[in-house]
Amino acid sequence: MFKVKRSALFLGLIVVGISMLLWAGWHNLRERKLAMQRAQQNRVELIPDKVAQSGQSTVEGEEPQLRGKAAPGFALTSLEGKKVSLSDYKGRPVLVNFWATWCGPCKVEMPWFEEFRKQYAGQGFEILGLADDVDAGKDVIAKVAHKTGVSYPILLTDGKVQTAYGGLEVLPMSFYVDKNGVVVEVTAGLGTKDEIEANIKKTIASGSSAGTPAKQVAAGGQ
Amino acid sequence: MRFGVVLAGLILGSGTLVAQMGSLDAPAAKPKQYVSFAAEPQTLKAGAKSVVELNFRVMDGFHVNSHTPKSELLIPTAVTMKPVDGVKVGAMEYPAGTSYSFSFDPSEKLDVYSGAFTVKLPVVAEAGQHTVDGVLKYQACDHAACYPPKSLPVQVVFTAK
Repeated sequence: MFKVKRSALFLGLIVVGISMLLWAGWHNLRERKLAMQRAQQNRVELIPDKVAQSGQSTVEGEEPQLRGKAAPGFALTSLEGKKVSLSDYKGRPVLVNFWATWCGPCKVEMPWFEEFRKQYAGQGFEILGLADDVDAGKDVIAKVAHKTGVSYPILLTDGKVQTAYGGLEVLPMSFYVDKNGVVVEVTAGLGTKDEIEANIKKTIASGSSAGTPAKQVAAGGQ
Repeated sequence: MRFGVVLAGLILGSGTLVAQMGSLDAPAAKPKQYVSFAAEPQTLKAGAKSVVELNFRVMDGFHVNSHTPKSELLIPTAVTMKPVDGVKVGAMEYPAGTSYSFSFDPSEKLDVYSGAFTVKLPVVAEAGQHTVDGVLKYQACDHAACYPPKSLPVQVVFTAK
């Protein structure tokens, strides 16, 4: 009799314990759902006012896993018809920027890039602008590039380079490649001018012990 | 022994449940489309000029160019429908866009659709049920980035009586 009572008590304790576990799980789920809803509401509300303050696009998780890895190589044709490879710039910090003629945010940052290119030319810094929409035609791409005032090489993409850089579901998309050919930073969407400059400085500083910059600059270039 | 089995079963079961609840932490899948199409069966008058409405919705936080964007560089929103027997299709009627500017470039005025928008398809249909397939082509942006042009398949089902 005592044994049966003890068993019933034991079972009761187990049921209570499991019930508490389930309740805790349900409560946790509910709290997380509410938190997600609040986060979602905040995200939508922030959009009109935070435009130029954040380089993050609305779609998260678009950046390919290239940070810290070797930048995929490419050999593309420039607007002038010249073959340009990423390997031509070995030993120099390079910003690989994907853009398109129909992309408003892209055209906002391009003049900033031009400014920084001149400012950091002494450190061998270069920019390669890769036009994503080659179907727009070379003339249109050249016209838009000219309008933004850029003088750095504009290259016509071949479809393969977009795939190599993660598919590019967002524009603008920038890959900051250091002297050693390693992707130091990846950004999707328009960032602030300060953020872009910080990334350029970081890229120039990265791998600086790899060699003598002056010598590398002389060896690089188109 | 029996209690041991019951206990193990309950613990395993609750563990699975908690693990399933934990899956909410997994990152949300990135959207493949920024516009959705609401397929609503419609009824029209057979043999008469009628209008089939195609109802779209742009995801919150995004906009797409209208059918008549203010720059030739921008990709207009456009619907094309495949011809189908028993249905004569007229020229698509697009709504007017709304004015929009990126805050980083207030001087450039864009003409966009955001939220819900309806494209009207004039038809003259023979009696019976008809299914017309088509494609919406658009290019979306949000507050700081743009997304490559997309195609959204649409299918309209309507009955002409």
